[in-house]
Amino acid sequence: MEHIYKHKKKIIYLGILPAFLLYLGFVIIPIFISARYSLVEWNGFSPPSFVGLENYAEMFGNNIFWRSLKNNMVVVLASVLGQVPIGFLLALLVNQKIKGRHFFRTIIFMPVVISAVIISLVWSMVYNYNFGLLNNILSFVGLESWVQNWLSNPDIAMFSVAAVIIWQFVGLYFIIFLAALQTVPDEILEAAKIDGAQGWKRTLYITIPLVKDSILAAIVLCISGSLKTFALIYVMTNGGPSHATEVMAIHMYDNTFNGMKFGYGSAVSIFIVVFGIVLVTIVRKLFAKFEN
Amino acid sequence: MINKKNSLIIFIVLIVGILFTSSVMAQETVELEMWHAWTGQDAFASEVLLPKIEEFQKQNPNIKLKIQVIPNDSYRTKLRTQAAGGQIPDIMQTYPGSEVQPLVEAGLLMDLEGIIDYWTDDLIPRDSLSAYTFNDKVYAIPAKVNYTHFAFYNKDMLKEVGYTVWPETYKEFKVMADKLKAKNIVPISLGNKAKWVLQSIYISTIGDRLTGIDYLEDVLAGERKFTDPAFIKALDVIKELADEGYFNKDANSLNDMEMRQAFYQKRAAIFFGGAWDIGGVIETAKEENMNVGIATFPQIEGEVAPKALSGVTGSAFSIRSGLSEAQKEAAIKFLKFFYSEETYVDLLRTGSFVPAKVDLPADISPQFQEVINLVNEHQIGPVYDAVLPINLIQTINNGLQSLTTGEMTSEELAQQMQDNL
Repeated sequence: MEHIYKHKKKIIYLGILPAFLLYLGFVIIPIFISARYSLVEWNGFSPPSFVGLENYAEMFGNNIFWRSLKNNMVVVLASVLGQVPIGFLLALLVNQKIKGRHFFRTIIFMPVVISAVIISLVWSMVYNYNFGLLNNILSFVGLESWVQNWLSNPDIAMFSVAAVIIWQFVGLYFIIFLAALQTVPDEILEAAKIDGAQGWKRTLYITIPLVKDSILAAIVLCISGSLKTFALIYVMTNGGPSHATEVMAIHMYDNTFNGMKFGYGSAVSIFIVVFGIVLVTIVRKLFAKFEN
Repeated sequence: MINKKNSLIIFIVLIVGILFTSSVMAQETVELEMWHAWTGQDAFASEVLLPKIEEFQKQNPNIKLKIQVIPNDSYRTKLRTQAAGGQIPDIMQTYPGSEVQPLVEAGLLMDLEGIIDYWTDDLIPRDSLSAYTFNDKVYAIPAKVNYTHFAFYNKDMLKEVGYTVWPETYKEFKVMADKLKAKNIVPISLGNKAKWVLQSIYISTIGDRLTGIDYLEDVLAGERKFTDPAFIKALDVIKELADEGYFNKDANSLNDMEMRQAFYQKRAAIFFGGAWDIGGVIETAKEENMNVGIATFPQIEGEVAPKALSGVTGSAFSIRSGLSEAQKEAAIKFLKFFYSEETYVDLLRTGSFVPAKVDLPADISPQFQEVINLVNEHQIGPVYDAVLPINLIQTINNGLQSLTTGEMTSEELAQQMQDNL
């Protein structure tokens, strides 16, 4: 077996090569180019001038940047604590032999494949203060006092937006978990049943440990996905009102392409990359610790 | 018989033939890439500018225009970004003042000095080109003058609270707005999600009136400051409108289209918009049987230029520098065709203001005649985002939104703008 594999190594590398070159050219190299841009002051037109770490100093001294980081953490937490558990629960449910599970599978996955712009427009209407679905339902059932200015009130806009992000991506983790659950061998579950592990106990002690790797993968995906979240918020609130829903990617975009501060924007991008790597590393370390 | 040799000869003849015809055709046809932002929703574009482009293509089959239409909000960002990469189209719509300036400074645009005599001074006064003039050279020709501030009000709703005429003073305006509020009518419809509305439409005119029309130039020259009490007072007016609850509560999550819709659906009594709204308002009022009046912001105490109305020239095309001779010729031919006297007269008919000296057509609608009279009572003042550098536009756009949510005071915003200068 090993022998055969050895012979094919070259072919494997050859197969990986095209994808690797694309990845190198469009992901890895641009990160380094960005890193270089983050050290200059440049408006895109005039020649760039080297300023060292000034862009980073400006970034760390900028209240709006810290606010965008805080908002971004709301998204990360909402995603990790919202999308992953809800996706997992739904996967557990649909993994049962219930009627119409194919139907549910499609329905739950659907938001993932709808364009972010359409989702944003639909939810903007749901949240609309005057004739939105949400406020109408609330007043219909007599909860007028709960009627809110969902996207215009800076105190709650971030949470309204985060709810939509959860809603859109639950399906993605649902599918990942569903696939993982289907790899759990029936024999083990049956053995557990005979040993008296039922219901929650069986899920907690048998199923979850068996799909642990998928959970880790889901959390890593979740963190990196949340850090680059952009389109939904851009369309729903454009980062407003007064920066209340500005996440790092929007902060970067606004400064780069509306403020023409390419150096500063690159510094924010690099921060997003580094911050993402740090978060993911922490999560991996935590998981490894639990394993021991 | 067709043997191998024969077929080879036929093949060569064919290839040479194809190459020859295509090279001849290439000599005759000039291709020009064109970008503009007229999606055709407004009368001036759908009835005048877009048909003009079509007509040009029909008359000049040897000039092929490859057109990309990009909606206004994304157009500026796209052009800026492409320009930063040094890749801009051959003919493109450019925006006035500080928007086009970096493109000019980067040497991306062709100056029109060689051909500008075609328009100046008989058709277009040189003064009207100032927003596109840098170092005494003109880089674009505008089709319109966009006044960025008008008040559109529902006469019937105002009558309900006892007002048959638009209030003269800001004080009176507030009394009226309070009465509207008491009747559960939203006084002013606002949609400031995209953040430019409070700046272009509101603060430009209010600021110009309180600070004087030379103020921004003086500030940029360092002779005055943003912390000037007159400017803070202008910001205070916006803050007051928001604090008193005269705007709809969801103003920061609606776009400007939704702002107009709320007015058309009679969910608000007033909305402030630009000259680009006039055609649509007059038309919709007719369809919906609405009684709409058009005015400008009422007089505020302590105004320096009480008749100022913010406005700037727009719908301008620039030509890229570094075109081939044939392309240049074709592009100039297009400009001469596009910015003709006929175009300006047609634009007037659709309710647009023009930078050219042309006579009003006799068949102009009475409503538009009224608006022209209104504008003639005013003097043109600068629009903030056509004069301020890009980082200050960003500061004031974001800051005005923060004013309305109470996260910033007028003094803080003024100080921030001064710091960012």
